[in-house]
Amino acid sequence: MSSESPQSSKPSLDLAKYANLPNQLIVGGAIGLLIGFFAWREQFLYSYLTAFMFFLSLVLGGLFLVLLHHLFDSQWLVPIRRICEHFAGLAPILGVLGLPVILIFAKSIYPWMAIEDPHSDHALHVKYALFNPTAFWVVSIALFVVWTWLANRLRKHSLAQDETGAATHTQAMRKYAAGGIVLFAFTLTLGVIYWMKSLEHQWFSTMYGVYYFAGSVWTTLATMYVLTALLQRTGHLAPVVRDSTFKDIGTLFFAFTVFYAYIHFSQYFLIWNAAIPEETFWYVKRENGIWWYLGMLIIFGHFFVPFLTMLRIDVKKKLTIMAPLAGWAWLMHYVDMTFNIKPVIDPEGHGISLSGMIQSIASMAFIGGFLAKFFLKSFITHAPFPQRDPRIAETMGVYVELESEAQAQTKSAKA
Amino acid sequence: MENAHAYGLLAEFDTPADAMHAAEKVRDAGFTRWDVHTPFPVHGMDEAMGLKNSKVGWFSFCGGATGFTAGYTMIWFMNSFNYPIVVGGKPLMSPMFPFPVVYEMTILLSAFGAIFGMLFLNKLPKLHHPLLKNRRFKAATDDKFYVIIETSDPRYVEEETRELLESAGCKHMEMVGE
Repeated sequence: MSSESPQSSKPSLDLAKYANLPNQLIVGGAIGLLIGFFAWREQFLYSYLTAFMFFLSLVLGGLFLVLLHHLFDSQWLVPIRRICEHFAGLAPILGVLGLPVILIFAKSIYPWMAIEDPHSDHALHVKYALFNPTAFWVVSIALFVVWTWLANRLRKHSLAQDETGAATHTQAMRKYAAGGIVLFAFTLTLGVIYWMKSLEHQWFSTMYGVYYFAGSVWTTLATMYVLTALLQRTGHLAPVVRDSTFKDIGTLFFAFTVFYAYIHFSQYFLIWNAAIPEETFWYVKRENGIWWYLGMLIIFGHFFVPFLTMLRIDVKKKLTIMAPLAGWAWLMHYVDMTFNIKPVIDPEGHGISLSGMIQSIASMAFIGGFLAKFFLKSFITHAPFPQRDPRIAETMGVYVELESEAQAQTKSAKA
Repeated sequence: MENAHAYGLLAEFDTPADAMHAAEKVRDAGFTRWDVHTPFPVHGMDEAMGLKNSKVGWFSFCGGATGFTAGYTMIWFMNSFNYPIVVGGKPLMSPMFPFPVVYEMTILLSAFGAIFGMLFLNKLPKLHHPLLKNRRFKAATDDKFYVIIETSDPRYVEEETRELLESAGCKHMEMVGE
């Protein structure tokens, strides 16, 4: 473990007894998935895709927060930046876990891949430049290469700064962030179009990328809130985390609650208003059976509940309210991903099946377990927060005198 | 008595830190009718003064809730009750199409709530304030920091209050008239 000594007087939390939890999740998940692979192949594939998209949210959300930190030269993010860097650094692991299933079984997952002559389907014909198996393979792999490269560059400089404290690392990270944010926007949009939106290739929505982005960062911030609280109590982040850290994470979480609702509403509103069959079919399908209730759950549970709960400023600092809300956010984001993916195999919305439940839980446990395992490994082997970030003192609420100021003071003292 | 017409005791400080420490002392002494004036916002001053979270939020919330309800009611009344009119083959009333209007109304009225709530809580507009006559107080918009304790404060006893502010490091003090 790290050498940081907790400064808080509270008894520190010991999570050692849960050290084996990721392994248990992996084994349990793997058993469930194996059964599914042979018994319920379709449920297995779509549940696995749902879990993949869910965890991709956390990886990309982590990457986004790192980029955000450098772009705005922010101070409040310093305590959690290392955690975000590790989240982003999980990209290759998620790629290895997810891509084989998506690429090998692409024909079973994506109906457009199974169309014999792509030019016989008009929607596919006009989108052929992007929607062809070669592009799908190349882009899918390239996206993970880009994310891995960007995440590693940023973390490498951040870790090097722990040693040297040189400002050149901050400057380098800013440059990566400036180019990286553009790259991030394009790659995230491409990824979500290929892996999630292309399930119904006839559909159009220009907001789909930003829609997924809004939900992703929202979920990541909820996760960060709870992780920060936990790691403060275990002592890892105790020296840097203050009340205002929680207020700031909470505020951005709140902002993204509104942002997500704004984006999802805009997508729905434009389609509803224009009433063009090529677009409306997507939502019409999602009014069948159980999907209607899931849609309502997204409106009320994804927006109204967290929005009204977090309106008051003091709530954002109360772990007893925020922790359950973060758990709720995970559930809501999973519901959102399911709402996007599962109607493809259950257009009538028959409801929750046992196979679907088992596969959903197993996929989440399997991918989540692996990511947790690798996250813990990187977290434990590195310092828990950027040790020598230029803004670390400010974050800790300490004023450090500039050299020029100190000299001026000694001069005036002598005089 | 000279003090019968005195508004309060004005104490001048040179640095934000001094003013903040003075505020902490005044807060701990239990004064209720007093204020701090600084040329720029000083972080942590709210706490040093013992100020609770502002009540303005409630005004904006009520404004927002009113705007939300009024927006829907207005559109329903106009487009589907008083003068039903079919637009683009859409239903006469739906939660969807009025939403941009409802949303704007929510924002507009919550902004009104915030502005007017703030004015109301601050007892503004005010035609005159005793401090505005004070020549020295002009520096509050430049480089000086002021703590003012009103003579109407139940805890106010001139000698003790002067001692308290002096012990906080005040360099200059003067009485401000009504």
